Order: sequence, then structure tokens, then C-alpha cells
Amino acid sequence: MVLMEYSDLEILIAEIRKISGFDFSGYARPSLLRRASRYLTSKRMDMEQLLAHIAPGGGIVYDLIQEMTVNYSEMFRDPDYFVKVRSEVFTYLESYPALRLWVAGCASGEEAFSMAILLKEAGYLDRSLIYATDLNNKVLTAAREGVFTLSSVRTFSENYMQAAGQHSLSDYYHVSYNKAVISPEIRKNIVFSLHDLTGDGVFNEFQFISCRNVMIYFTLELRQRVFRLLYESLSVLGFLCLGKRETLRYSGLEDYFRVVDSSLNIYQKIK
Amino acid sequence: MNHGITNPLSLVLFGGSAGSMVLFEEILQILERPLSFAAVFVLHRGKASSAVFPRIFKNKTNVFMSEPQHLDPVEPDSIYFAIPDYHLLIGPDKRFYYDSSEKDFFSRPSIDATFISAAFSGIPVKAAMLFSGSSADGAFGLKVLAERGSATYVLDPADAESKRMPEAALQQYSGHKVLSRGHFSNTIKEILHTHST
Repeated sequence: MVLMEYSDLEILIAEIRKISGFDFSGYARPSLLRRASRYLTSKRMDMEQLLAHIAPGGGIVYDLIQEMTVNYSEMFRDPDYFVKVRSEVFTYLESYPALRLWVAGCASGEEAFSMAILLKEAGYLDRSLIYATDLNNKVLTAAREGVFTLSSVRTFSENYMQAAGQHSLSDYYHVSYNKAVISPEIRKNIVFSLHDLTGDGVFNEFQFISCRNVMIYFTLELRQRVFRLLYESLSVLGFLCLGKRETLRYSGLEDYFRVVDSSLNIYQKIK
Repeated sequence: MNHGITNPLSLVLFGGSAGSMVLFEEILQILERPLSFAAVFVLHRGKASSAVFPRIFKNKTNVFMSEPQHLDPVEPDSIYFAIPDYHLLIGPDKRFYYDSSEKDFFSRPSIDATFISAAFSGIPVKAAMLFSGSSADGAFGLKVLAERGSATYVLDPADAESKRMPEAALQQYSGHKVLSRGHFSNTIKEILHTHST
């Protein structure tokens, strides 16, 4: 395994910004260092070779950027979270004639598809629009296709069962050439689009925002800025859902939310 | 609890998987406050296991023990447990960081992830130990720590319930000190005492 030093990481961040304009400076260093080291290891390069490798820019540097942002997700990840959303959040959403939901940092669509299924089973999907955004174009392309390997779908199915899904997950996808393809009826109310939480602003007002396991990759300062963006994107009494182990702590916005569930990190905007 | 400049922050790291729980328990029983270091335990745990785990131990020891939150500062005189389903990283700003990226050796938390991040954190790692387990996770991280000057220990593979982990550690770096299961508690006590003075 090839390991990178923090001093080299800062050089790399500066180079990436110079070549592509993409700015990692607000990203948490420990995770970035881990990812950059993994990239070096997989490419069998040292720091000098890496800098020479990305110098021409174009696709190569975007490949590195994509590798350095974490894109790992699962459908119905943390099943108890989905159980809670159904029991605690949906009763509020019921009163809205039209629902806007935002899955911020959607990776390959896993979370957005899970929400769509949850909404469908509750009878809300037809009046819902889910905006699913990510900064990574490659994963967005995958999300629009809605194709997963059969082995990952097995994990998703187990999660779905634990989340007390009403049917079988296989009702929501079909298998083609050994891949699972998410059904059009689940995808039709989801808009996948490019949005960078660290640079782009408010683009709509939502009753529900899910931003799970995204904030942990930002520095304390950037995190506060992104929390502010999410807060401003929520309507009053709208819900903010964070990762199972992420809290509003150190956000500076603790007083603006009611804690709906302190262990699953579901919050409601109160002012 | 921050003891200020008289007691600068340092780390003692423990890693293990199958067969290590009982050893962790023994160590927890001999730890006594005030600790001159922060102890970090990384045990491979199923993602369903909850914070109940440290609570069980809390009754057995008098040392403050917790599952650190993302961005919590690393404090001396504390015992930390890595939570399930996230890697636990230690940053150069002396805070804990969660990372939910790929598993290492089918494990999240991964021992390597914590050990490597600690080695690069700039916080002195007084001692690091790797016990029993059925994967090679932790072996590389322990080597990195040894090469950067930390005192490193592995459980004698002959004494380990699952020997793959300590064996891999010794294969990758033969300079680790080997701990035998006999007099385990006393040896650990001595090590921790040596490194705390």
C-alpha cells in the first residue's frame, strides 16, 4: 500500500484546483488522505507520478476527483431509519398536496430509490417530486440508469425486509443481463441533477431533506456552511435527516431544529 | 478531561477481531484513572451492535468510556470504542472523524484505517497492539506505526484464538514484540506503566 503524507495532500489539493477548478479545501483531511492513498495504491504510483499523471487535466483529473469523493451507498441503508421516517415523518407530510424532497449527495441513486419506494407504499409518490443531487457526474449517470449488480441487490433486499417493506424489493426492479434495473414507476418522480453542496446555493424549498453520510466528509467550517444551505432550503416544519451517526452538533443550528429521533438523527425545522 | 501541558495528548491503540473481546475485557479491568493517554479500541463489530457495548464495560471499570462522535476532540484520560459500520479516523487536528467508505478486509470499522490515521495524526502513539482475528486487517497499520517509532505488540499467534491477524502482522514486520497469553494482564500493566512515565 502506498501512503500519502498530509503535506503532499495539500499539494495535491492545490494542483487539482489549478487544473480543474474543483476545490477540496473544505473536505475533511483524514478521509481525503485515506482515499488519495487508495488511489495511489490502485494506480501503483507515487506522489510525483500522480502529479505528472494529472497534469494534462481533462478526464484523468476528473477520475481522481471522483475517486476522492466517497460514493458508497446502499438502498435502505440503516433499515430502522426508514421505519422511523414512515412512522414519525410521513404523518406530517400527509397534509401537503404536493411534496418536494431532496436527497443531497445521492451517489448512484440508492437513497432516492429507497425514498421513492417508501413514498409509493405510503401512497404519496404520485404527488411527490424527489430531487436527487450529487457533484459527481459519473455516479449521476449510473443513478439515471438505475442499474445495480445482483449481489448488491441482495444486500438491499435484506435491508428492505428489515425496514418492514410491504412487498418484496423485486417488485421494484427487473433483471436483465444479470443486472437489476429499477422500475420506471419508481424512477419517474425522481430528478437527478448536478449540484455541489460546497459551492452551489439554494435551488428550491423542500419539506424533506435527506443528507446522510455526506457531512462527515467536510471540515468543521464547510460543514457549518452546508448546514446553513440545508436549513435555508427547508420549509418551516420540514425535516432534515442525517446519517445514523451524524448529529447537528457543531453545526451552529442546534436551536433551529426539534429532535425527532436522537439516535437516527431526524430533525424538524422549528424556526 | 484536559490536563493541559503537564500531560500532552498521546494514544494507545488496541485492535482485534474474533477472539479479542476477552482480552479487551482484561485490559479494561486493569486501566485506572487518571490515564496519561487516550486509549482507542477497534474491534470488528456487526453493524447492528449498538452503543450498549461500552455500557456493558462501563460497569466493570472506573474509566470514562465512550463511542466518540464525529469531530469530537481526542482527550487524554479517556477510553474510546470505534462504532460499528464506520471507519474511525484520527485527524491532524486531534479530532475523531467518521468515514463510511468501502470496507477493508470486509470490515468497517477497519483496524488499518484507525491505525494508519493515528500514525499520520501527529499525536504520539505510545503503544499499539494487535490481538486475535481471522483476517489480516491491522497488520499493515501496525507496521506503519512501528516504522514511525511507536512501540508495537502482537499477541503470540500460538496463543490466539484466531491466529491469522497476529501472524500477518509478524509476517509484514518481524520487529513487533510478542505478548504471551500467560501473565497477559501483568505484561499489559507494565507496558502501559512504562509508556506513561
